[in-house]
Amino acid sequence: MRSNKTGWLMLAPTIAILGTFGIMPFFYVLYVAFHRWNPFAANPDMVYNGAKNFRRLVFDPEFLMSVGLTLKFALFAVGSEVVVGYLLAQMLMKDFPGKAIFRTIHTLPLIVAPIVVGSVWRLMTTPSIGIIPHFLHNWFGYDMNIGRDANVAFALTVIMDLWHWTPLVTLTLLAALLALPKDPFEQAQIDGANRWQIFWHITLPMIRPAILATVFIRLMDALRTVDEVWMLTGGGPGAATRYLGLHIWKTVFPKTDYGYGSAISVIVLYMTLVMCWILYVALVAPRQKKAVEQ
Amino acid sequence: MYLNTKLRLTAVAFALATCAMPAYADFWSDAGAKYTGVTLHGVTESSPPSMYIKEVLAPQFEKATGIKVEIETTSWDQMYDKAIKDMEAGTGLYDMVYIEQDIIYAYLQRKFLTNITQSLKDHPELKAPTYDDANFTTFANYFKEANGDLMGVPMEAFIKLYLYRKDLFSDPAIMAAFKAKTGHDLAPATTHEQYTEIADFFTQWGKDKGMDLWGTTAQAHTGHAASWYEFFESVAPTFGVYNWGIDAANNYAATVEHGGQMNSDKAKAALKYWLHLRDIAPPESAQSTWTEVATTFAAGRAAQGLVYGENAAWIEADTTKSKVVGKVGFALPPLSDGVMADAESGKGYIGYYDGGAFGLPVSSKNQEAALLFLEYIGQNEVQADWAVAAPRITNTATYDDPKVIAMDATLGGYYTMLKDQGKLFAGAPPYPFHAQVREATAPIFYQILLGEVDPDTGLDQMAAKAEEEMTNLGYRQ
Repeated sequence: MRSNKTGWLMLAPTIAILGTFGIMPFFYVLYVAFHRWNPFAANPDMVYNGAKNFRRLVFDPEFLMSVGLTLKFALFAVGSEVVVGYLLAQMLMKDFPGKAIFRTIHTLPLIVAPIVVGSVWRLMTTPSIGIIPHFLHNWFGYDMNIGRDANVAFALTVIMDLWHWTPLVTLTLLAALLALPKDPFEQAQIDGANRWQIFWHITLPMIRPAILATVFIRLMDALRTVDEVWMLTGGGPGAATRYLGLHIWKTVFPKTDYGYGSAISVIVLYMTLVMCWILYVALVAPRQKKAVEQ
Repeated sequence: MYLNTKLRLTAVAFALATCAMPAYADFWSDAGAKYTGVTLHGVTESSPPSMYIKEVLAPQFEKATGIKVEIETTSWDQMYDKAIKDMEAGTGLYDMVYIEQDIIYAYLQRKFLTNITQSLKDHPELKAPTYDDANFTTFANYFKEANGDLMGVPMEAFIKLYLYRKDLFSDPAIMAAFKAKTGHDLAPATTHEQYTEIADFFTQWGKDKGMDLWGTTAQAHTGHAASWYEFFESVAPTFGVYNWGIDAANNYAATVEHGGQMNSDKAKAALKYWLHLRDIAPPESAQSTWTEVATTFAAGRAAQGLVYGENAAWIEADTTKSKVVGKVGFALPPLSDGVMADAESGKGYIGYYDGGAFGLPVSSKNQEAALLFLEYIGQNEVQADWAVAAPRITNTATYDDPKVIAMDATLGGYYTMLKDQGKLFAGAPPYPFHAQVREATAPIFYQILLGEVDPDTGLDQMAAKAEEEMTNLGYRQ
């Protein structure tokens, strides 16, 4: 009984902080989501309007387009980060000259603030002054204009995210690979398994938890990306990179549509949870069930 | 004896004068003494006039009063974001906020701001002998309540001008080539047709000669409100479409169908004119806000363009930042027939009169100390050096200061133009829903820029969307 009390006492600061800065704001956002509230409207007061904000977003083409774009962005960004991150982790498992320097340089993007990443990429990609359009023009005669080509803008946001966050994936997977026991690999080699078979049947299943954890983290990050993209494209050209985070920001701040913006925020949180749950159910639960059955 | 008495009287008079003088000259230290230990926080857009406040006026004020001042300079978007959140929540984080002319109506409607005139009446002990509401130019009227009380101290004011390259316009080879091609003499444009002709000529000239030179600038960012502003505040008025094409007196009508002008023939002609200019502008224009337009011009990449006055001075005078120092001419924007007459009669205007003020949020916890700071930056005494450092004039007397007169000569008469022609320009229309209508219609505008929607259809959609938004907000019945 005494230890139970001590436990709660030890947990109290964390619970207080979590409650104040995490749970209370969530319930406030949920509360606002059921109101019509724009402080610059003729009636600036908060007016209860039931589920109208949620009904509105189901038919809002701008929101639906933003959802589609964000999912596409998350798929390309997270997918490519996992693949490239795994390849780099495998490379770092081997010794080669300059490995330590490469690993340090490769990790540097992680310590750069997203807003700075966006600024740097903006400078590199601005037509006429950016180094990327300059070399693309000189080497391939291609005039890249991020302000006018929606596909280029989308691709650049993915590449920027890849540049920024692949080191995280690499480090996580490298840690997982380094922790693997040697026995299964030696036995597989004795049994004559080729590199693909070893990867598919031994490495991948054994690092699956690390991959999943990484995908969860990166997926949640990708779904709420704002600052980098805001700096690079401002959501443009047009609405080509107006991902959900930016869409919410534009709805809540410049447009000051607090009620509707809160409803979108709640739905995005719900979507993120559902997507993580689906991922978990599809990839983890069947294996746990199989293990129990065995 | 007589001499002795005279000497005594003189000595007494001198002593009295020396005692009295510090009392007057030391108003700031006396007034500030009560607030020792107070730190004022302000947030403003990172612009040359604001940087001058941060780097020069705030330290001067600190020295004079002992009140510490911290000015946060940030991007235009972030500045609004921070100021509005603070005032809406009433947290009192900021004691001074930058109020751009276009947001004042929204702030007044929300009662975010302290009435400066009334506060000084309520606290006569805080009234600086060197401060007077009457010192400001008529630009201050944008920051006044209906009763004439001032709600913000003007700190910057400038017009968006037509800048052209004097060196190119007077180059004999270019003049001859232009004459041969068009049959006209090369001179700053006064009509849209002339402007287009000159822009086409220079873009082709740059291409033919392998130069990084284009005929015009274009503030045509495809994901930032800057492009929306360039069209509605600088281009559409020169075609006779005022106040964004919204008729406030007619139930805020925006569509032609309901009596508005946003999708009128004039607006459509203006948009097509501007889109053509965008197409022959430097490639970075699709990512250019007001800042990039200025840097494009300063880099010598454009022969002419519409540039905000806050950047005009450094483009023309700052050799560390500009490649076209001494080569810039200033003129009024090209106009359609009848627009100048509208502007002179007060029915319309020829371009954007931009600027801002420093306001005192009602949520500030240091109202009195902040009031002192606002008076400090509003004095005639600090204006001349400020106008020389950053091209803005908010006080009438500043025009007559020798330093400003000298600067005016350096700038080719920019200040004279501001003084004499400023009345032809206008600030943003008095809409409390400014940002809301802009944000509702901007996505369609970006689609027009990308060619996803044709200009005529796009403007029809924008006008309908503007009415829908104003209806949702409860302004349009």
